[in-house]
Amino acid sequence: MISLRWLVLNTLAASLFVSGCTTVNTFVVLLPEDGGAASAVTVGDNSQSTVLDKPYSTAAVDTRGGIETKTITAEEANRMFTDALAAQPPQPISFTLYFESNSIEVTPSSQPMLEALFAEVAKRQAVEVQVTGHTDRVGSDADNDRLSLQRAEAVRTMLIQRGINSNFLRAVGRGEREPLIPTPDEQAEPRNRRVEVIVR
Amino acid sequence: MKFVSQIVPAAIFAALAFSVSSAAEIGQIKNTTGQVFLLRNNEQQPAKPGDTVEQADIIITGANGSFGMTLIDGTRLSAGPNSRIELKQFRFNPTTQEGESLTELHRGTLAIVSGQIAKRSPGAMKVQTPTTILGVRGTRFAVKVEE
Repeated sequence: MISLRWLVLNTLAASLFVSGCTTVNTFVVLLPEDGGAASAVTVGDNSQSTVLDKPYSTAAVDTRGGIETKTITAEEANRMFTDALAAQPPQPISFTLYFESNSIEVTPSSQPMLEALFAEVAKRQAVEVQVTGHTDRVGSDADNDRLSLQRAEAVRTMLIQRGINSNFLRAVGRGEREPLIPTPDEQAEPRNRRVEVIVR
Repeated sequence: MKFVSQIVPAAIFAALAFSVSSAAEIGQIKNTTGQVFLLRNNEQQPAKPGDTVEQADIIITGANGSFGMTLIDGTRLSAGPNSRIELKQFRFNPTTQEGESLTELHRGTLAIVSGQIAKRSPGAMKVQTPTTILGVRGTRFAVKVEE
């Protein structure tokens, strides 16, 4: 049935264009998202365009810019893009580690998260890690800048000890500038004594 | 003072190294299979995991090749065999999360999960092929170009 339909379409195309040599050049398929959120891609320019906004909706663009849309199955999409989809790097993932007051010691309750970070970093190829240290608002800005960087460096050191290439590890301190929980100055807040780690 | 004298040269070196790499680096190759080449300034070299990529780089895969890469805005690109991908334009401000990009697929297959550029400004990420142009609002899609 499909081949018959294509035959009809091709015959139609051949009769519409004198040269009869338009062929599909570009094929686009919208894929569902992990989180299932809204997603869309526009195909084409001002003269002729379409919007793909349903999972597995496709646009075939011929060499003259003509666009034909249809919907395919997940199996068809996976077959067409097997190798490209298999090579897709894993999603970046973030971890938050909490610290003891005025200290570069990770709290006991954050130890499992620290272990999860090590496990994630170990299983990724060519891993990049961004480490950002923070403090609560107790103490001077200068002291907190120093403490936040020391916290980030402590995590960085632990990752290097586990064999991560230091070229792909970045550690910065943001002091008390970016509290997770906004507080008045000089107020202790355990949730702001933290290091945020992005693994890519 | 001894502490300072040891730290200062290291800090300067780190600052230089960082500014050199951060000025040009827009992403990193994460995995490769089969033949994958990085074409930069008309010089072609085998691409391997961990290689950084820059604006204007072209990545080419052979008949059994595929690769995956991430860009600094969190975009993930991956390509199948017989593909040619050109990172034509890329600009991203990590602080404001704003930027724009243009990637061309000359031939082959390309799967994309868009990152912060498309999230912040829908349409600011574009993918070009020989016959059309895509404006990316988000997030997962795949493109195939037959010559």
